[in-house]
Amino acid sequence: MSSVLSMAFPILSHWLIVCFLSPLFLGVIAKVKAFFSGKVGPSVFQPYFDLAKLFRKKCVYSSTVTWIFRAAPVVILAVMLVLALLVPFGRFKAPVQFSGDILLAVYLLALGRFFMILAALDTGSSFEGMGASREAYFSCLSELAMFMNFITLALLAKSISLSQMVGAHIPMTWGGLEPALLLVVASFFIVLLAENCRIPVDDPETHLELTMIHEVMILDHSGVDLAYMLYAAAMKLFIFSGLLVSIIIPVRTGDHWTDMAIFFGAMLGLAVLIGIVESTMARLRLNRVRLLLLISFALAFFGLIVTLWRA
Amino acid sequence: MMSWIDVSCILAVFLALTILATHRIVGMIKIIALQSFLLSFVPLFLHAEAISGRDIMLSGGTMVLKAVLVPAILFWTIRHISMRSEIKPIIGLGTSILCGAVLIAVAFWISLSLRLPGKFESSLVLPCSLATMLLGFMIMVTRTRAITQVLGYLVIENGIFLFASSLYDAMPMLIEMGILLDIFVAVFIMAIVLNHINEEFERTRSPVHRPKWGESQ
Amino acid sequence: MLSLLIAIPFLGALAVLLPVRTMFRVWFLFAISFVHAVGTASFWWRLPASEWQGYLTLDPLGLILLSVISLLFLSVSFFMIGYFQHEHRSNRIFTASILALLSTMTLVSVSYHMGLMWVAIETTTLFSAPLISFHRNWGTLEATWKYLLVCSVGIALALMGTFFLAISAHDVHTLLLPSILSGASSLSVNWLKLSVIFLFVGYGCKMGLAPMHSWKPEAYGQATGMVGVLMAGGLTQCSFLALMRVSQICYKTGLSDFYASILIVTGILSLVVPAILLLGEKKLKRSFAFSSVEHMGLLVLGLGLGGVGILGALFHMINNALAKVVMFLTAGSVAQKYGSSHATEVRGVIHIYPVTGILLIVSLLAGTGMFPFATFHSELLIINAAIISKHYVLAGGIILCLAIIFIGIARIVLEFVYGKPTEPVLDKKENFFINITIASAAVALIGFGLWMPAPLSRVLHDAVALIVG
Repeated sequence: MSSVLSMAFPILSHWLIVCFLSPLFLGVIAKVKAFFSGKVGPSVFQPYFDLAKLFRKKCVYSSTVTWIFRAAPVVILAVMLVLALLVPFGRFKAPVQFSGDILLAVYLLALGRFFMILAALDTGSSFEGMGASREAYFSCLSELAMFMNFITLALLAKSISLSQMVGAHIPMTWGGLEPALLLVVASFFIVLLAENCRIPVDDPETHLELTMIHEVMILDHSGVDLAYMLYAAAMKLFIFSGLLVSIIIPVRTGDHWTDMAIFFGAMLGLAVLIGIVESTMARLRLNRVRLLLLISFALAFFGLIVTLWRA
Repeated sequence: MMSWIDVSCILAVFLALTILATHRIVGMIKIIALQSFLLSFVPLFLHAEAISGRDIMLSGGTMVLKAVLVPAILFWTIRHISMRSEIKPIIGLGTSILCGAVLIAVAFWISLSLRLPGKFESSLVLPCSLATMLLGFMIMVTRTRAITQVLGYLVIENGIFLFASSLYDAMPMLIEMGILLDIFVAVFIMAIVLNHINEEFERTRSPVHRPKWGESQ
Repeated sequence: MLSLLIAIPFLGALAVLLPVRTMFRVWFLFAISFVHAVGTASFWWRLPASEWQGYLTLDPLGLILLSVISLLFLSVSFFMIGYFQHEHRSNRIFTASILALLSTMTLVSVSYHMGLMWVAIETTTLFSAPLISFHRNWGTLEATWKYLLVCSVGIALALMGTFFLAISAHDVHTLLLPSILSGASSLSVNWLKLSVIFLFVGYGCKMGLAPMHSWKPEAYGQATGMVGVLMAGGLTQCSFLALMRVSQICYKTGLSDFYASILIVTGILSLVVPAILLLGEKKLKRSFAFSSVEHMGLLVLGLGLGGVGILGALFHMINNALAKVVMFLTAGSVAQKYGSSHATEVRGVIHIYPVTGILLIVSLLAGTGMFPFATFHSELLIINAAIISKHYVLAGGIILCLAIIFIGIARIVLEFVYGKPTEPVLDKKENFFINITIASAAVALIGFGLWMPAPLSRVLHDAVALIVG
C-alpha cells in the first residue's frame, strides 16, 4: 500500500503542478502584453475562469465530422499529461525516467500534433485545412531544430534520458561549454515560440482566419472539447518553458525550497520574457517564418558542431 | 576570460549567419556594425591579465573605424532609394542559411587538422574565424547587388581580425593600425565608386541605354 | 634617404589636390618622378642604409623593382605632358593618385617586414582604383568595381597568409625577413605550407595570374594607356616581389619543390588562358591585357623552374616593364587619336599617323618577344631553364603558347595598322612628347637586348643569390 502511495505521490504532484500552474502562465503573458499596450488587461487568473466557463458548456458537432474529431481533444490532453510526467520541474524530479525517454517525448508531441491536424482536416473546412498544412510544414522545420538541440544536450550529458539531459549536469557544463549552451538556448527559445504558436510565428489573438495557424485548427471545437484543447496548449507551453528554464538555471542548491523558488521565479521571468517578445515584435510573413526556423536549425547545428569540437 | 572570447567568436559567426538570412540592406549594415563592435572587445579579452595601452588603442581604433565610421559611410552610400531596395539572392535565403550551416561545419572540419601554438590550443578562435571568413565569401558570391559585396568583404575582414587578434608578438602596433586604416580606406573608396555608379545609374534613366551589369563590352 | 623617397611623392600627392592648372600638375608630377629617378640611380652606385630598425631595407631584389618603378613613372609623366595637351578633364584626382601610387610602390620595394609589405600592396590597390575610372562611364566604373573587389578579396587572403606565416614563425616573434630567414629551422612546416598557399593565391590575384585573371582584361581594357602601363608594368611586378620574398623563405626552409610545383602549374595555366582567349579579341587594350597575363605567367614560370630561370625572370621584370611602356602608351595614344580602341573603328593608322603606326608594329614585336628586343632574351632564358631541368614537354608547351599569343596579338595590331584608313577625331599631327617617350623605351629595350651592362648583370646575379639563399 505504501509503495503504491509512494509511486503515486510524485505522479500526482507533477500533475497538480502542471494542471494548476499552466493557465497562470498564460495569464501572466496576457498581463505583460496588456501592460505594454498601456492597458490594465484581464486578471492573471482569467484563463481559469475561461476554462471553467467552457467546461460548463455543451459541445456542438457538425454533421460532417467523424470519431476523429471527438477523439482528438482527449488524445491531445492525454498526451500532454503523459509528457508532463517525463519532464522535471526544478526540484520535482520526473516520475518517469528511463534511457531513451527523449524519443518517447518527441513522438508523444508528434502524436498530439497528428491528431490535431487530422481533426482539422476532418471538419472539411478550407480554413482549417489551410491551418493544418501550415502546421505540418512548420512542424517539420521546428522538429528538426528540436532534434538538433536534443542531440547536443545528449552529447553534453552523455545520456539520452530527458531528465539527465536537463538535470544536474547542466550547472557544471555552463562553465566549460558556455558557447554551445548559449546556442542551444537561443535555438530552443525559437522552437518554443514556434511550437506554442506565439508571435513571431503565429498570433494567438488574431481573428482573421487567413493569418492563423493554430487558432484556425481549433476553430470548430466547442465546449468541453475546446476546454481540453486550450488546456493542452497551456500545458504544452508550460512543459516547454520548464525544459528551457531547466537548461538555463545554473544554480542547484541542495535546499528543497530554494530550488523550487528559483525554478518558479525563472518560469515567471520566462513568461514575462515571452510577453515582451510578443509585444515588441510583429508576426512575421509566412515565408520569413520558414527562415526563422531555418536559422533556429542552423544555430542548433552550430551548437552541435561546437560540442563535437570540444569533445 | 577564455569563455568570453569563445562567446564573442560564437556571436560573430551567429551574426554572420544572420546577415546571410537578411534581405534588407539597412539591417545588414546594422548587423555588421554590431559584429565589429563585439569583435573590437576581443583584444581586451585576450590579454585581460595585463591590458596594455596597445590593446586599448587597437580596441578603440577598431571600434571607431569599423563600428562607427564604416557603417556611417555605408549608410551615406545607400541614401538613394534605388540602392535600398530588397536584394534577390542567387540561391534563395533558406538555401543560403543551410549552405551557411554546412560551411560552418566545413570550417570546423578544416581546423581539426590545424592547431594554434601556445595557449590557444582548444580555443574556438581558429574555427570561428574561418567560419566567419567562409560565410563572408558566401555573402559576396551569392548576392547580386554591389553594396552587398562590400558587406561580404567586411565580414571577411572581421573574420581575419578575429584571427589576427590572437597573434600578439609578430605584428607591431603600427602595422596593425596600418591594416585597420587600409580596410577603412578600402571601404571609403568602394563607397565612392558605388556613388559614381549610382550617379551613372541615375543619369541613364531609360533602361535601353543602360547595359546590364557585366555586359558593358 | 629611403623615407624621403617615400614621403616626397606622398606630400606631392597632397599638394596636387590644391586647385591649380592642369598642365602645372603634369609638370609637377614630372619633376617629382625625375627626383625619384635620380635618387634611385644613386642607389645603383651604393645601396642606402636600412631605416626604421630594418623595416625599410633595399636589397638587390628591391633595387630592380625600384628602378623599374622609377623608369615607369618617369616615362608616364613625360607621356602625360603630351597627353594632357588634348585632354580637357580635370586631372586632380588622377595626378594625386599617381603620386600616391609612386609613394606606395616605393614602399613595397623597400619593405622588409611581411606585414608592412602587405599594407603597402593593399594601399597600391586602393590608390590605383580611381585611376581606372578616369573617363567616367559605365564601362570604366564596372571595370573599377571588378578590379577593386577581386583584388581586395585576394589581398584579404594574402593577409590570412601573412598571419599564418606569423603563426609558423611563432618562435621567431617577428615578421622581419632577415629574422625569419635566419630562424628558418624553427618554422613549423604545416603552417608554413598553408601560409605559402594563401600568400600565393592572394598576391597571384593581384598579379593577374590565371585563374585569378578575370579583372585584367576589364581593367586594362577600360583604363587609359598610362594607367595600363603603371598597373601592368608596376603593380603586378610589386606583387611578384612579394612572391619572390616567399620564394626566399621557401628555399631556406626546404619547401622549394612544393612552391615550385605551384608556380609552374600556375605559370603554364597563365600561358594557356591568354592563348585561348586572345584569338577572338577585337579591342587593342584588352589584347595587351592578355599579353600581360602571359608575361606574368612567364615570370612565375621562371621563378618556379629555378637556376637560370630566376635570372631570366628578374631580367624579364625590367623588359616586361619597358615593353608595357611601349605597348600601352601606343594603345593610349591611338585611343586618344581615334576616340576608340575597337578594331572596326580604327584602321590604317600608318597612312595617317606614320610614326604611331610604326610604333604599333614595334609594340607588337617587343611585347611578344622578337629579336632584337630584350624580351626575346629573357623568354629564352626561361625556356632554357625548362630544358635544363628536363621539362621538355613544358618547354614545348611554352613555345607553342607564345606562338599562339603572337598570332593573336599580331592579328589585331596588323588590322589596326594596315587597311583602308578610318577618320581620327583629333587633328592629323603627331605629338612629340608621346612619340619620344615610346621611342626611347623601345630603344632602351633594343639596347638591353644587344648589350647587358655590367652593373645590371651584377645586381641580377646578386638578386638570384639572395633568392636561392
